[in-house]
Amino acid sequence: MKNLILIITLLFSVPVIAQDKDIVTKTFKVDGNCGMCKKRIEEAAFVKGVKRAEWNKGTHVLTVTYKPSKTNDENILKSVAHAGHSSELVKTTDAEYKKLPECCQYKTNTCEH
Amino acid sequence: MDRIYKQLLLGSLMMLALQANAQTDSTKKLKDVTVRKRRSPYTMLDPIKKELVSNRDLLKAACCNLSESFETTPSVDVAFTDAISGYKQVQMLGLAGPYTMITRENIPDTRGLAAITGLTFTPGTWIEGMQLSKGTGSVVNGYESVAGQINVEWKKPFEDKDEKLLLNLYQSSQGRTEGNIVYRNKFSDKLSTNLFVHGKTQWLKLDGNGDGFLDQPLDKQFVAANRWFWFGPNGWEVQGGVKGVFVENAGGQWDYKEGDVQGLGKPWGYTMSTQRAEAWAKIGKMFPNKPATSVGLQLSGLYHDQNAVYGTTNYLATQRSFYANLIYQSIIGNTNHVIKAGASSLIDNYDETLRAVNYTRNEVVPGIFAEYAYTMSSKFNLVAAIRGDYHNLYGAFATPRLHVRYAPFARTVFRASVGRAQRTANIFAENMGYMASGRSFYVRSAATGSKPYGLDPEIAWNTGVNLTQKFTLDYRDGALSVDYYYTQFQNQVVVDIENPHAVNFYNLVGQSFANSLQAQFDYELIHNLDMRLAYRWYDVKTTYGGTLKERPLIAAHRAFANLAYETRNHWKFDYTVQWIGSKRIPSVHEHHSTVIAPESYSPSFFQMNAQISKTWNENLEVYLGGENLTNYMMHDPIIGADNPYAPGFDASMVWGPIMGANFYAGFRLKLR
Repeated sequence: MKNLILIITLLFSVPVIAQDKDIVTKTFKVDGNCGMCKKRIEEAAFVKGVKRAEWNKGTHVLTVTYKPSKTNDENILKSVAHAGHSSELVKTTDAEYKKLPECCQYKTNTCEH
Repeated sequence: MDRIYKQLLLGSLMMLALQANAQTDSTKKLKDVTVRKRRSPYTMLDPIKKELVSNRDLLKAACCNLSESFETTPSVDVAFTDAISGYKQVQMLGLAGPYTMITRENIPDTRGLAAITGLTFTPGTWIEGMQLSKGTGSVVNGYESVAGQINVEWKKPFEDKDEKLLLNLYQSSQGRTEGNIVYRNKFSDKLSTNLFVHGKTQWLKLDGNGDGFLDQPLDKQFVAANRWFWFGPNGWEVQGGVKGVFVENAGGQWDYKEGDVQGLGKPWGYTMSTQRAEAWAKIGKMFPNKPATSVGLQLSGLYHDQNAVYGTTNYLATQRSFYANLIYQSIIGNTNHVIKAGASSLIDNYDETLRAVNYTRNEVVPGIFAEYAYTMSSKFNLVAAIRGDYHNLYGAFATPRLHVRYAPFARTVFRASVGRAQRTANIFAENMGYMASGRSFYVRSAATGSKPYGLDPEIAWNTGVNLTQKFTLDYRDGALSVDYYYTQFQNQVVVDIENPHAVNFYNLVGQSFANSLQAQFDYELIHNLDMRLAYRWYDVKTTYGGTLKERPLIAAHRAFANLAYETRNHWKFDYTVQWIGSKRIPSVHEHHSTVIAPESYSPSFFQMNAQISKTWNENLEVYLGGENLTNYMMHDPIIGADNPYAPGFDASMVWGPIMGANFYAGFRLKLR
């Protein structure tokens, strides 16, 4: 029992210790359509140094929490653009945009999901 | 040592508190953003707690139909009905499968004769997702659900994001081949259709434990369905569908051939053939000028015919059912007061013949219902409901139900429910597993009037409380959920197998109850690595011939852990390990002898499943997996296997896996 408590304690402590002041949360407008886009955008935004990335398909706002010592806005949005989704800071190239599945091609298509 | 751990505990508690503060600062901005994505297995706003089983969860076990898909869900137990037929039944809250209502898009699905076997009639590939709720559900769907409700949503034809055509092939090392086709076509925004086709065959004879019996029967299964959606002008919506099922099973002793005469000195055989046809329609109308007001009509009809042979026992059964449900929904003033009211009619006709004795019955149950959902604030809401039904054989009865939700904080939800449920036990169809034994079937009833089998209806009261707490730890989400349910039977049709030579059915005299406690913890350990830990405890007891005893073949304890990892380049890894506690085995014959052994307990055991899959371009997915990797098996699942026509023969005392490790591979090809 004692050991169990110790293990649980450690489990909870480690991530807490790992956390420090080196963290910011920012929001960006990122173009996209649907749930499929959401997954792609969030995965792309999750570059090294990012702790959490969330894209709202209703408002098209991407909220990222990251460590400024390890990455920056441009890095993150470049990765998102590389996956085919433009943002206020970084536009995607035509070639990358065309790789998106049809329903995610937000410039021409919409999907009601 | 003592001091160290106390300090650590204190320290980490403080840090947790600090972190909680820090979190609220940084998440304040996020507040308006909807709480996120796939890692929330529960509904938060609904007064009825629903566990969401997503398509992703279903794919954790590539195999294959509804009953197997629950093997990765901690809330549902899956166990073989017997060591011959290969059928599995589910349990929720410690109660057998038929106590759970299975609905297909809110129309009752596998009722009656198909209560056990019917779960294999819905292939996993067809399913978009499921909602699982414990306790008595909504009265809109009827009065029957005692332990809970599982609603299955099929893939929709009008979802643009879905593939046009899904092809799936599966092959296992134990000689099972399966194929699925799911096709959708959207002719216009108004009209769309689905076509589902499923074929499965077990073609390899296997006897891993060397008892002379096939571990599972050879089979051929074919299921097809077609449905149409039409979204008309002025808020009209129409859906209609048909489904057909054709299954042939043949098992038993190795040398048995279908159609052979059975008796002493000849091979013991099992065959079952099932034909089932279903048709349903949903007609809905929304009123554009009246907000949130709609009328819906659900219609469904089915014909089910099965012919089973277990040695010298022949069980023939036919079911014809018709169901109609009219639902009116509206609001009083604003959407804080939603009412649903309506009328339903359930007609069941059964014609069964067991060992040359015929049982027929007609049940006609018209009913009316009303459900009121009140939302006081985002913190408090409730659903209060009542229905009244008139059963032609059992008379009138009322079904009240109440669900309350209280959320003191945005991510903390307490819920409580209480409700009544009633159902007619289909004693033979629900206990077919016992036909794979030398047991005699006795119905101990007063045999008065025209009651089904001369027995009373099963009536139960179910109460439950649950807590769901979502949290964010180091920017990753998790959820903790604890629930407790208590089901008490006012009457139950007791299935008494305490005598090794008989199955006795009788009305409950004394107590019968089920306590169920479950705790589940979900957390994203590192980015894209999801962990699920669960533990559940049952205390299920029934009075058998004057003695309150633990219900047999139910594990009191079960622990469950699942890890799921997904890489950026679409590799998925899934690992599930379970520990299943010991189960009470009633007094049975000793193996290879005529001596009767006293009741005993089965050993506890571990089970492991793992699966790897890789997806290319979101279009082709290939998977490879293994089940029962610990290779744990019951040594002698069939008692008296070398003398199947003797009274000691019993293949129904199954408490664990019958087959060893199974490996499988398959693919899903999606054409868009």
